Amino acid sequence: MNTASTIRQFIVENFVFEDGGSLAEDTSFLESGIMDSTGVLELVSFIEETFAIAVADEDLVPENLDSIGRVTRYIESRRGE
Amino acid sequence: MRYERSEKRESAGRRFDERFIEILDQVRGKRPYDALVAYSGGKDSTYTLKLLKERYKLELLAVTVDQGFVSSAALENIKTVTERLDIDHYMVRPGSAALRALFRNSMTIDVYPVKALERASAICNSCMNVVKSLLIKMAVEMRIPTVVYGWSPGQAPLRSSVFKTNAPMLKKMNETTAAWFNTLVGDRLSGFLLEDRHFAAPEKDPYPFIIHPLAFLEYDERHILDEIRTLGWNVPEDTGSHSSNCLLNDFAIAEHLERFGFHPYAFEIAGLVREGCMAREEGLERLSARPGAAYLARVRSLLEGETE
Repeated sequence: MNTASTIRQFIVENFVFEDGGSLAEDTSFLESGIMDSTGVLELVSFIEETFAIAVADEDLVPENLDSIGRVTRYIESRRGE
Repeated sequence: MRYERSEKRESAGRRFDERFIEILDQVRGKRPYDALVAYSGGKDSTYTLKLLKERYKLELLAVTVDQGFVSSAALENIKTVTERLDIDHYMVRPGSAALRALFRNSMTIDVYPVKALERASAICNSCMNVVKSLLIKMAVEMRIPTVVYGWSPGQAPLRSSVFKTNAPMLKKMNETTAAWFNTLVGDRLSGFLLEDRHFAAPEKDPYPFIIHPLAFLEYDERHILDEIRTLGWNVPEDTGSHSSNCLLNDFAIAEHLERFGFHPYAFEIAGLVREGCMAREEGLERLSARPGAAYLARVRSLLEGETE
């Protein structure tokens, strides 16, 4: 499963609770009401455990974490380091 | 039956503890206050205050948000403990009509993510968002480097127990909270939110660390009660089965149960049981407790503003 699909599956199973096929890659988690700030940190925990990367405090920004597309790009940029 | 924390969880807890100590060493003594502490008067936030003062030797400002439902016994505990520990303390009382409207409307207007309702009732989410918004705003304005909460291990994920906020994150969180408040009570609570001026000079980085140390420190309720009793804290008898400070809590739980069919603390208590902080039998007993009809009627009329 690729990065985007892994993230999508986690979001759908833990936050959406319905058919996640309609969840667009650029849908803001916070603006759409899918998650609150605590949920973002649950997502961070998942990212760290699943992809074996440590998310630094300065990376805890919406640009990196607030949609499937943004999370995917962030993970792939970190893995490319 | 009591479980034990896994070695993986213990190891993760130690890493957060080490990070916590690093942060404290970084911030201690640089400003008038090292930590702004959300102080509800309950057992966990009381224990947190005691630890921060006595074990970690921090200069503290405790803040209590009296949302109109803090019990008399808890108010007495707050006075006793802050005096005994010699801690500066602010008591904030938001306008009661606005808060009653917030809590009433939380019961019928859906604003919170489903996941948030797995951690707490809609009423409790509303209350916590008022507290969190105010404390972040105070910390930014007063340049207090850490905001500390006394949440128990199951109340929030371990990963959220130590992190540094920043301008983009807080701006987004602020917008989200503002939207919730606006839906529920219009602009009545806008005074609790950050404003554009708080983001005018992000390079100065007035944004605090958020910490809830009980998530990674040893957590034993009996030990906590023994410790805080030495401060003169007494178990309130007027707060129901799930809170040691709030008169609204049992009502909020009952409302949540009726609306969604599950106990809002099921996940928290399951977490405490899995981590060995609570015996399974005790967890089940707490989840089965139900308040009486007279209590529910009284709280409902308080929420309607019919009685004082």
